[in-house]
Amino acid sequence: MRLIGPIKPIVIVLTALLLSAALLIPAGAQTQTLTFVLDVEAFRKLEAEAIAQDLRAVGATVEVRVWERTALTDRIRAGERQAYMQDWGSAYFDPFDLGVPKLKTKDRGNFSFYSNPEVDRLLEAGVTGTDEARRREAYFKVQDIIFQEAPWIFGYFRDDTHGAASVVENWEPAMDSRINLHDVRLARGSVIVVALNTNSLVSLDPAMHRDRKSETVIRNMFDGLVTRTTRDRVVPQLAESWRQTSPTTYEFTLRRGPTFHNGDPVTADDVVFTFERILKGDAAGLGQRKGLLGPLQKVEKVNETTVRFTLEQPFPVFLQAIVHFQIVPMKYVQQVGDRAFAEKPIGAGPFRFVSGTLDSQIVLQRYDKYYGGSPALPPVGPAAVAGAVFRMMPEPATRVAALKAGEVHIIEDVPIDLLADLERDPKASVKTTQGTRVFLVELNTARPPFNNVKVRQAVNYAVNWDAILKNVYRGHARRLATAFLPSGFGYNANLKPYPYDPARARALLREAGYAVR
Amino acid sequence: MRGQVILRRVLATVPLMAGIAVVVFVIMRLIPGDPVDIIIGQGAATSQDVERVRQELHLDRPLPEQLLLFLADLSRGDLGDSFVKRKPVSQILLEALPATIELALAAMVVALVVAIPLGILSAVRQSSFLDRLSMAGAFLGISMPAFWLGLVAILLFSVRLGWFPTSGRTGFLFFLEPVTGFVLVDSILARNWSALIDALRHLVLPALTLGAGLMAIIARVMRASMVEVLREPYITVAHSKGLAPRVVVWRHALHNALIPTITVVGLQTGVLLGGNMIVETIFSWPGMGRVVVDAIFSRDYPLIQGAVMLYTLIFVLANLTVDILYTYLNPRIQL
Repeated sequence: MRLIGPIKPIVIVLTALLLSAALLIPAGAQTQTLTFVLDVEAFRKLEAEAIAQDLRAVGATVEVRVWERTALTDRIRAGERQAYMQDWGSAYFDPFDLGVPKLKTKDRGNFSFYSNPEVDRLLEAGVTGTDEARRREAYFKVQDIIFQEAPWIFGYFRDDTHGAASVVENWEPAMDSRINLHDVRLARGSVIVVALNTNSLVSLDPAMHRDRKSETVIRNMFDGLVTRTTRDRVVPQLAESWRQTSPTTYEFTLRRGPTFHNGDPVTADDVVFTFERILKGDAAGLGQRKGLLGPLQKVEKVNETTVRFTLEQPFPVFLQAIVHFQIVPMKYVQQVGDRAFAEKPIGAGPFRFVSGTLDSQIVLQRYDKYYGGSPALPPVGPAAVAGAVFRMMPEPATRVAALKAGEVHIIEDVPIDLLADLERDPKASVKTTQGTRVFLVELNTARPPFNNVKVRQAVNYAVNWDAILKNVYRGHARRLATAFLPSGFGYNANLKPYPYDPARARALLREAGYAVR
Repeated sequence: MRGQVILRRVLATVPLMAGIAVVVFVIMRLIPGDPVDIIIGQGAATSQDVERVRQELHLDRPLPEQLLLFLADLSRGDLGDSFVKRKPVSQILLEALPATIELALAAMVVALVVAIPLGILSAVRQSSFLDRLSMAGAFLGISMPAFWLGLVAILLFSVRLGWFPTSGRTGFLFFLEPVTGFVLVDSILARNWSALIDALRHLVLPALTLGAGLMAIIARVMRASMVEVLREPYITVAHSKGLAPRVVVWRHALHNALIPTITVVGLQTGVLLGGNMIVETIFSWPGMGRVVVDAIFSRDYPLIQGAVMLYTLIFVLANLTVDILYTYLNPRIQL
């Protein structure tokens, strides 16, 4: 009895000490797991869950959170998020609008806050260099460095999948998303109908949009100095030829013969007017496409058929850039004003505007006096079909239904799950081409846990991309080793993507101080 | 006298719209998302280009200054230009409105033509086979999502049977001079009967899809209010006076039973006139629902503000119309 007295307070004190020790001493480094939130938009949620599963299998604790795109971008730019699924499109077949904005220090699309002065220097050399071999070498070095430093979980690019009725002849989708109806024939019928994947076009004025769908319709009504094959080769269109007279000047010689839909001939004045309108326009208005011209400084008429472009510094993708600028008729635009021009556009392309509204349909008619088009893209001559209609159909199931019902001939952007249906249908076929958009998981390299390169490499080894791509995209997606597309300049085909190696992932995580499974 | 009351109520809407616009103005600028970022998108642009866009849209100014600029423009009746489409907001809304109104009215007509007789019949023959069938149908109508119903309708009636077109407001073979913007009205004015038939054919499936849920709600409300009214003592008096059952229902009961029903109809019309993004997307119908949802996702502030003000006006007018109708149905109710 006398022992219990002193023992009770001792037991109480010891218990209190042990409890506070357990609560106050932080968990040792050996029990800390890699924990983070993976942000995603609704349309890639399944993919995010699969990636999270792969990461959990090596011992990470991952939560997938679904966001609205705009709100997510806002928080990413504020530096608050850790890992986020992203995508970025490229129009230039060159790292200029892909690798550069995403990897250069503080550039517009650099959401990983990645910063490496060596990479910046190499990218600059690639963008402004004049020697093709040296440019390629610089981009190859960038790919090597980026691969090692792994600011992203490198992802993939997809095929663009479209549908066409069997009566459509001589149509292949273009990699730059342009639906070119000049060369297309119909086995039956004289008016071709295309269903576009959009609610509404933005404008029929070539200067007043930043939208591929509007550009598709515009490029059937307007021709440019140059255009592209369905792949990436630049070929002459309204221009007969061009030469680069210095690293910063280009001279284009216009073809004789092309006319606008109102009969006016296409002259050097029209070309100068087209580009000056953009160079001098409001940044939110007529000048909104100025950034796409890079360092273009001035455009001047040399003579009736020659125009000179002067750049501030060398810009090797200049030719790729001006594919996206179509020539407008100076006299007509000055006469009716910009607004009326956008409502009743007149260009020098194979089809003329008849009627329509941007949110419903645009009706075009063959321009019989068309000069013929690019000699590099046969057949040359007026369009084969008498008319063309572009209908806005934002719902993919409706586009497929319309194709099956025979209401439309070509449909854009068929989702993967509807492809099999079209492939089985004898009256339709699926047409694919390589896409120019990169899909990835971007990591915030400015804060834990992804400020540690070992962790970044680990997560690259941990994800089983082949399984994910096979299940989600049924063979219509291909892995990328880094941030460069095979269709773009400077792509290193010998650099293989991170292999699926969970053991290596675990080893790297352990080295970085995390507990693994 | 009455005209004055109506006028007063309409004019009172103006400060209401302005107040709501200010609330929306402030809220939009507080939620995450940068309109300039969306406008520039992923295209090549220097940081100077981005700053210039921000300046041109006045988004670099402090919030109170932006609000004052907005109110100054508003007092002149200028709703501003859409950030994304670079066109006046009033023009965009006015262009989308006729399509929305056509679809809304068509859906409402379809719903009323089916639902009111059905509701009345169900109430008069309570617990009969017809009553049970129509109420079960109503239950289905409310439960079926518009998305599913629309796609099924397209697959069945357009692809399989070929009776109606899959989507759009008109075909492309008819060129109508846009006089009023209402395709049905314009085709009648132009005496272009094939264009009229074409427009009607395009209207059927979207109107049915949109009307299905409405039909169900209105039928149920009609039945419930009719059942209530039929229990009133004055109905018993009418029967005992020897009046035929049909007369009792149509001349004595109906106008009172309609009061709750037109309340619902009025509210639903207000909702319909705001557009329905889902039905518009499925049927590629160029209405306001799509415009506004797009505007929200692209943080197109002027367009969102203009649209909300328009919705306010629509709701006030719809409610006012209902209130006026009440006075005809029941003279004891004063405006």
